[in-house]
This record gives sequence, structure tokens and C-alpha cells, in this order.
Amino acid sequence: MISFKDVSVKYPLGNIALHNINFTLEAGTFSYLVGPSGAGKTTILRLILGELLPSSGTVKVDSFQIGNKKFKDTAKLRQVIGVVFQDFKILAEKNIFENIAVGMYIKGFNKAHIQQEVIEALEVVGLPQKAHLFPAQLSAGELQRVAIARAIVGNRKIILADEPTGNLDPKTTWEIMKIFKNLEKEKTILFATHNTDIVNSMKRRVLVISDGQITKDKKKGGYEL
Amino acid sequence: MNSVWSSMRRTPYQTFASFSVLFFTLLLSGLLFISLTFLQSLLQYVETRPRIIVYFQITTSEEDIFAVRDKLVETEKTNDVTYVSKEDAYKIYKDFTQNDPLLLEMTSPDILPASLEIDAKQPEYLEEIVNFVRKQPGVDEVQFQKDIVDNLLHLTARVRVTTAVFFTYLLFMSIIVLTTTTSFKVALKKDEISLLSLLGATKRFIRKPFMNEIVTLGLVSSVFANLILVLLLLSMNPFLSGYFAGIHSLNMAFFNFNLQIWPFNLTYALLTIGVTTVFSLLITFISSFWATNRYL
Repeated sequence: MISFKDVSVKYPLGNIALHNINFTLEAGTFSYLVGPSGAGKTTILRLILGELLPSSGTVKVDSFQIGNKKFKDTAKLRQVIGVVFQDFKILAEKNIFENIAVGMYIKGFNKAHIQQEVIEALEVVGLPQKAHLFPAQLSAGELQRVAIARAIVGNRKIILADEPTGNLDPKTTWEIMKIFKNLEKEKTILFATHNTDIVNSMKRRVLVISDGQITKDKKKGGYEL
Repeated sequence: MNSVWSSMRRTPYQTFASFSVLFFTLLLSGLLFISLTFLQSLLQYVETRPRIIVYFQITTSEEDIFAVRDKLVETEKTNDVTYVSKEDAYKIYKDFTQNDPLLLEMTSPDILPASLEIDAKQPEYLEEIVNFVRKQPGVDEVQFQKDIVDNLLHLTARVRVTTAVFFTYLLFMSIIVLTTTTSFKVALKKDEISLLSLLGATKRFIRKPFMNEIVTLGLVSSVFANLILVLLLLSMNPFLSGYFAGIHSLNMAFFNFNLQIWPFNLTYALLTIGVTTVFSLLITFISSFWATNRYL
């Protein structure tokens, strides 16, 4: 579960990044976060990840509560969150198995458990035979599948996807969206995107952010700014 | 271990630079440690020898000599005052000249003076005791090893200061070089660090591979440096055996433990290895901590 209550973010020079944000994403739901560049999407994602502290208000992520005072459990908070980036952020020196397993090593899972769960995740994203390949041997779409696999292993309850289809062609984009659709019952997914086709075709809750404020919050909305 | 080795192979020049600095630092530290302990034990040895010998006139009676001895003991500035009678002196002379019977024939106990061998509690009391005994009746000559002790005290003090300065310099230089080389490696992996951090890695988890690498390098350097030190000690052994022929052993107090320095032995070798290893761990731990801290 993710909840924002009266959250504002003000930068030291005085510019306001977010103003009085309120929303709650229940566990096991899929929501889009849309808005023009610079509207505050990334700031919201950074707040959820504990990279940034709110100037006022409270952000609640799973059992963690983040206020404007120093937050000490950043590492533990991030261990419940899987992140999928536009640029994949796959480690070139590690093979696919290691790339997916890295988040599980961080959480201290044993080798047998890691082996089993990584193989399952590779099945989920449709790359069962690619475990021992290196990132340079994979296409962009396959790399994004690896990033999704990395985000779902190790009991991560929340997935934050920051423009995950931004670098992909339309066909691959839909393949990726299919994976997200299959995951939405098990995970809380917040999907930041500019892609109107995705938002309009796969109708889910849409949070529209503009100038640091939530301007629309529709249960089965389309892409409208 | 595999990841440590592969990381070293990927940055061979930085690894070599780190190794060289660590190796020379540990070698010099080991040499300084050996020099300091050796000089310290030599000083302790000299300090435990009877340092003042008071020769009495042949005509001085034992009672008068004992009176001087009692006065010396009363000053509480002596550890030990040993009376060497004319007969004892003759025995010592006999032992000393056993290869030259002619010299022995020419001597009898009557012509040898009785003496007192005085061991002062502190080297600083030496002069005071000498002045005191010179004023006593029946005293013929007073010998004491002031110059030797003074020189040794002076030398040890200098070595202590030099060692402290060198240690500080080596520590500082090594930490700077290792922090810089580790920082390069950390900078190369800053994307990975940022990703690990986003996935919930603790600072300890992120630091671990860098620390493992540099600490491994420190231990390898320490092994090489200690190997050279042990070879050096072994090669110097014949020379030192000749030089210190009259000295049975050199010891020094190391905390509550009486450590034998000379002849070289396993305990001393292990202590030297231990000191350089601890020093290497200290350097590598501090530098890897600083280098990674910048990016965390």
C-alpha cells in the first residue's frame, strides 16, 4: 500500500515541486501516473523510494512512514520496492541470472531460494533460456523484461515503473504491458508514463499530475492532461 | 574470492599501484618495528648491567666497604649493590686469564682491589651515586658507563621519534594513495552502486566487495613484506651473532610479557608479522571506508 497525505515538497531555493498531494494506492492495484515533463512524477517516485523527504505531510509505503524528519530505514523500505527504469539499468558485467538475483542477495536469501525464484521470474517474463547470457547479447525489449524480473523477485510488494516502455518499439511495448498485466494482482504497481496508447488501451486508475498537484484521479481513466 | 580476483584483473595498474604502496609501507614499518624493539631491548640490557664499579684502595677494610654499601642502600636509588672481595676479583681474573698462565703467576689476591658493583634504579641517578661514592673514604677509583647509556638513551629516543614520524607519514601516504586508487574503482562502479542502493542495499553491503578487495591486497602485501623481513633477519643472523657474542639474550617488556628479541625466535617473528598485518588491515580498512563513503 502507498499513501500520500498532505505531502508537499519545497526545494531549498523556494521552488515548490509538489503541493498538498493526497492519494492512496491499495495493495494489489495498478495505477498510472501521468503528466507533462517537470510536473512532479519523478518527485513522487523519489518520495516513495525514500530518496527525498517531504517538506510537510506523510508518505506511507507498506509499513514505513516517511515524514520530514530524517528517515533511517531507507534500505529496508527499498527492499519492498522493485523499480523498472526507462534505461533498464542492467549491470553489463553480470549475466542475466546475476542481474535478477542481485536484489535477492541484498535481502540475504539463500542460494537455493535465489536459484528457484530467479528461474521462475525468467519464466514469467518469457526468458527461460537466457539466464547465462550477458546484457550485450540481449535486445532492448529483453533487457526490460530482465529489469521487470529483477523487480518482482525477493517478495517485493510494490513495483515502481518509470517510463519503462519509453525506449521500446510498439510491439515490444505491448509484450511488456502484458507482463505488467499479469503481475497486477500480486503487486502494487505505479506506472509513470507519457504513452497515451498504453493508458487509453489498458484502462486502470490514472493519477494526473500537473505543476506539482494532482489534478485528476480517475478509476478507469484515459490519458488526458 | 572470484569477484575480488576478477576486479583486480580488470584494473591491473591500480592494483599494482596499491600493492606497491602497501608492500613498501609494510616493509618499512616492519623494519622500523624491528629496529625499535632491538634498540629498546639493548637499552634495557645495558640498564640492567652493573653500571657503577667502585674500586677501593688495597688497604681499605671490609667494614669500611660495607659501611659505604649500607649508605648506598639507604639512598634507595640503587637496585642492587654487590660486594666483590679481593678473592672474588682474583677468581674473576683467573677465569679471564686462564689461557695466559704467566699473567696469573704474576698476580695474587692481595694486589687486587675489592669493589662494589652498583646497579642504579634509574639511569638519571648514575651521576648522583658516582658523586656520592667519590666522597667516601677508602675509594680509589669509580668507573661507570655514562657515555654508553647516554648514547643509547639518545639513540633510542631518536629512533622512537623517527619511527613515530615515519609511521605517521607512511600511514598518511598509504591511506591517500589507497583511497585514491579505490575511489577510481568505486567511480567506475557508481552506476552499480546507485542501482544497489535503489534496490535496498545497505552501505555495508555496497562497501563489502571494495573492502574485501583492498583488504585482500593488504594481506597479500603483508605476506610478501613479512617474507622479505624474515629473510632479512635470517641473513643478518650470522653477523649479529658475531657482533653480540657476549650477550646471551636481549629481552624487552611488551605489555605484561617479557619478549625475547635476540636471538631471533618464532615468537618475535610472529609478533612482527602480527604488527605489520594489523597495520595493513588498519590502512586498508580506513582507505576503503573513505573511498566508498564518498558515493554512499
